[in-house]
Amino acid sequence: MVEMIKEGKIGMLEAYALVTVIIITKVFYTFPLASIKQTGTAAWYSTLISCACAIAFFVLVYLLLKRFPQKDLYQVFEAVLGQKIGRFLVLVFSVYFLYYAGINLSEFVNILKIYCMPLTPQEVLVAGFLIVTAAMAYVGLEGISRVAYILFYLIIAGLVLILLLAIPFYDFHYLKPWFGYGLGVTVKEGILRTSSYDTVIILAIIANSLQGLKNLKRVGLACLLTAGAVFSICLACVLAAFQYTAGGEYISGMNHLSRIIYYSRFFQRVEAIFVFVWVFASVIAVSATFYIALSSYCRVFNITNHRPLLMPFLFLTFAFSSLPKNMAEIIDIYVRFIRGYSLFLIVLAPVLVLLIAMLMGKRGGKASETQ
Amino acid sequence: MSGKKNKNIIWRMLELITYKKTNRPKTFVLPEVDEQRPNQQQVSGQQQPPEGGQPSQGQDQRAAQPEDTSQTSEAQQPKQAPAVVVERAGQKRRIPKKPLSASEVRSARKDKDQVKTDVDSNLQVLKQAFHAPENKDLIIREFSLSNKKRGFLAFLDGMTDKNIINEYILKPLLDQENASNSEYKVGMPLEDIVLTDDTQALKTFGEVINNILKGNTAVYVEGLDYILICETIGYEKRGVEAPKTEIVVKGPQEAFSENLRTNITLLRRIIRNKDLVTEFFELGEKSNTTCAIVYLQGLVNPLILKEVKRRLKNIKTDFVVSIGMLEELIEDNPFSLFPTILSTERPDRTAANILEGRVAIILDGNPIVLIVPITLNALMHSAEDASLKWHNTTALRMVRFCAFAIAILLPGFYLALTTFHHEMIPTELLIAIARAKENVPFPTIIEVLLMELGFELIREAGIRIPGIVGNTLGIIGALILGEAAVTANIVSPVLIIIVALTGLSNFALPNYSLAFGIRILRFAFIFAGAILGFFGLALAAVLLTLMLVNLKSFGIPFMSIIAPRTKRGKDIVIRWPLWLQENRPDYLSPRDRQRQPEIARQWTQQNPENS
Repeated sequence: MVEMIKEGKIGMLEAYALVTVIIITKVFYTFPLASIKQTGTAAWYSTLISCACAIAFFVLVYLLLKRFPQKDLYQVFEAVLGQKIGRFLVLVFSVYFLYYAGINLSEFVNILKIYCMPLTPQEVLVAGFLIVTAAMAYVGLEGISRVAYILFYLIIAGLVLILLLAIPFYDFHYLKPWFGYGLGVTVKEGILRTSSYDTVIILAIIANSLQGLKNLKRVGLACLLTAGAVFSICLACVLAAFQYTAGGEYISGMNHLSRIIYYSRFFQRVEAIFVFVWVFASVIAVSATFYIALSSYCRVFNITNHRPLLMPFLFLTFAFSSLPKNMAEIIDIYVRFIRGYSLFLIVLAPVLVLLIAMLMGKRGGKASETQ
Repeated sequence: MSGKKNKNIIWRMLELITYKKTNRPKTFVLPEVDEQRPNQQQVSGQQQPPEGGQPSQGQDQRAAQPEDTSQTSEAQQPKQAPAVVVERAGQKRRIPKKPLSASEVRSARKDKDQVKTDVDSNLQVLKQAFHAPENKDLIIREFSLSNKKRGFLAFLDGMTDKNIINEYILKPLLDQENASNSEYKVGMPLEDIVLTDDTQALKTFGEVINNILKGNTAVYVEGLDYILICETIGYEKRGVEAPKTEIVVKGPQEAFSENLRTNITLLRRIIRNKDLVTEFFELGEKSNTTCAIVYLQGLVNPLILKEVKRRLKNIKTDFVVSIGMLEELIEDNPFSLFPTILSTERPDRTAANILEGRVAIILDGNPIVLIVPITLNALMHSAEDASLKWHNTTALRMVRFCAFAIAILLPGFYLALTTFHHEMIPTELLIAIARAKENVPFPTIIEVLLMELGFELIREAGIRIPGIVGNTLGIIGALILGEAAVTANIVSPVLIIIVALTGLSNFALPNYSLAFGIRILRFAFIFAGAILGFFGLALAAVLLTLMLVNLKSFGIPFMSIIAPRTKRGKDIVIRWPLWLQENRPDYLSPRDRQRQPEIARQWTQQNPENS
């Protein structure tokens, strides 16, 4: 039996808010830039292709969990692949989420420096951020999800406000040509960028904290649909405001969108106020992935208390966030891996496990036998 | 030369970290209580408990201690069984005493605590317990009945109603006509002679002493194996007055007083329900303060009730005299800046909370009542909310929530704005701020801290100075200080507005403890804004949210309704009309969730006679 941290129970709406925020946070970073650069004017619906693929993948994960009732994804890995390989896979997931947290942090801090606080040393920003991350992870999943639920409304309100206030700058003719760089490129990039949605896997990892598989499926689908809609609308607005030429140049399309808001001499340059929205979303995304990395590691080595490991993991996150030398490196190497190729790990691993389980005819028993 | 000098330096440094015996004169150190006892005994001579009497707690401890401490120190002596010291021919000899078993100790204690059948023994125990005759508060009135039986009554002066004692206890006991009456014979129960409304026959001194301490009178007649307690409580107390901190325009003008009984009566007058239950607890081993919990049986969640009782029963401290102390002893998160227990001085508000399934905790001697469990929104409600029309209440609550945000954020926000994000400030305003700040030599953070400190000083001084002078001092102090600070170019005028607005918002918060917590939190936000701008403020806001979602009030999450999400009530931020509030708060899980039927105004379904 795998020793586990007591993660408590989280409600459906809390889980929905948590995972949705983790997925959509990237829209505040370089996501619009990369999408527009790769698919041009088709970026806004290319992400819907990614969303459709992510939904298909999530259904497969759901089928896998359905074969093993009362088990979460990590327990299924062990049940299908055996303890050693299963735990190795969990360890790989742990490293991936830690990497994800570190690179997200680095991306956020760099954007913050570019747009808001150019004179503040990066280390100070990272340190401040990590202190809050540590506090969130110290409290655990229940606390993080509750914070996510409360701040979710503010994040969505902020996002909607930016999109609405920038209406005078939209010209939807900029969305033409409709097929961007060609349908083939759009579909190919759309499938590859399924990785942007792959953090929905967190739901499968915390499946035991949710209230049943049915709820998990509902929450997962709702998260993916919301994220797809948010990405698509935001990309369309960025394209409509800046055209694909400039849209593919601005490091953070959404930040830039908030910067151009102008209604009078009194109401202008209000982008600083939206720092609250960026920070709320980023803190939740980084803390949640950091915590998942930590709890995954604890699962591998049967550690029942994650708190003593906070400091070493914070140090590792700091190390990951310090890997990129500059913004260009973050976009071209690190983020490209997360949002372009991580599907080969996060998406394909559970699918392979499902195939193996089906081929070998493995199924989970009742709750009492499996727990 | 230099080597010698170096050696001296090294030697001096070594001296700093090495132990050296000093020849300083000994200073006075107050000895610990345990160290004092043997000496005191030597001085005052050993006091034996009276025969059949109950020794005081201190004496019990003394008896359990080895008495010979003059020869060897405690540290040198190995632990051994209690011993008696016998002195023979000037030589002290230690005779080991066989230790008593637990059951023997228990039965011995029980015997000592039992009421005896003779007057002298009982009198002696009571006198000793109350340290009479040194303690002049204990009044003992001895008497002889017509059948020559001796008796006494004992009470504490000032705690009792002497009229009751004279007219309804002493008079019937000593009435000669009664004595000659054939119906009144020796065997007649004492309860039937005294005329007080409540009597109790108690057989242990512990209970008797507790009752005397409460203001009751103990009556004993020779031959009985019990002491009769007659209710004679009648000390001086403040009457029911108008509320001082929770003033309302529309609504009752009564507040709790220091008297426990009066407070319970005030509640009973509002909730005339047979299910309203009051339970008593004694708190504080030395103060024996009476604490009551009041709840509605059949409505309150039994688990919450059990938890309240568990916490109150398991307080081990010597005294609890203020409601603040009790609050600190029973709350879930004593380190939290936010209160997790609601305090109120209004009986109507307490009653409303009891009727929602909460528990009220009343401490004798305190005009404030605690209500548990609560959530954050309860702290944002005021006593007047129920008396006003629903839209007025809702508007007021919106103002309060704005005040909450301003009180926490405004100074930090101003700092972040002027230090990090100037671009957001409209140009004209920016120029005005810059012009006003031109002559001020301090950075903005120092200005803010100076003004906040000044404001806190005025507030504190205003509270300490009594009456109208305090208020005047507050206004004059603020005006003069602000004006002078601006004229002297110590702070900019904009900052005066910021600090004043923050102070006003703080006062607009309906809960005193919440407002206090926010005063402290504000400084954290000031530093966060000064160091990291909006980024710092956002991080601090996340931490505050995290802190709030992790608070609990008697097991109920403090942010219930929002996180964890529970069924929405109709009296959270928006107070919907009363006739729409069909259910009690979901997070309390009351046993009866429904407050009223779906159609509370049933007259709307009827046809009026003159239609």
